[in-house]
Amino acid sequence: MSFCLDTYLQQSDNYEIHASKAGFKDCAMIIRFKADDLVYIKPGDEVLGVRVIGIPPIPIGFDHEKGTVFLPYTKPCHGTSVVELPIDEEEVEKIRKLDTGNKK
Amino acid sequence: MKALVLLGCPETPSQTPMAVYVFNKLTKMGYDTTIAANPAASKLVKISDPEGLYNLNLVDLERTLGEINEGDYDLLVGFVHKDAAASFFVTFDQILQTKSLALVFSRDADEIAEFVTMIEESGSNALITSVRAFHNPSPIKVKFDRAIKEFE
Repeated sequence: MSFCLDTYLQQSDNYEIHASKAGFKDCAMIIRFKADDLVYIKPGDEVLGVRVIGIPPIPIGFDHEKGTVFLPYTKPCHGTSVVELPIDEEEVEKIRKLDTGNKK
Repeated sequence: MKALVLLGCPETPSQTPMAVYVFNKLTKMGYDTTIAANPAASKLVKISDPEGLYNLNLVDLERTLGEINEGDYDLLVGFVHKDAAASFFVTFDQILQTKSLALVFSRDADEIAEFVTMIEESGSNALITSVRAFHNPSPIKVKFDRAIKEFE
């Protein structure tokens, strides 16, 4: 079965929330600040089994030393959060293929 | 023709009557209309039509996001009154690549400007109409009636 972020966040405590109930732009800035490697994707691109919501270009960050990914996670009533969770190399490569290269 | 109406967080009182109003208007224009909302916003709309007179077609917002593809709808109308709602609107707009209308409203003029900028900076071709409103749906109704003429 493929990975699903929504299920993971409900059933695991192995993740960290770096910002919650925030605006998208603030969360994008936090991802850029915290990650040591970034790719930029389009709204609606699928990462870890969910379509990522946001304003393009959407940063997805990696901490290769810790083996984690930073991504924005948006809910209608709770705004956007930055979630950091473990990720394997296969998923990292899938995300790299989505990179638009557009950083503006 | 198919239209999708996106509702945001239901804490804005004017959203619920405007959702029914927009659904009715689009249906009369000939659109097979669907309202996508989270469970709380959906319940507010559903209970507003106890006899089912409007045949409101309500679906779950996040499930719909996971299922839609480019070209599934001919028109997207979004209620944008929070940062998250702007993000949802831009995301649906980018996936569907169809005609779209953003109804931006807030009681705070700075917030309105911020949400309009978010949509514009996304590269969206959406028609954006904005107004200061929170409890009173009339200003949104007036703006919607004017904007929807562009799609008639």
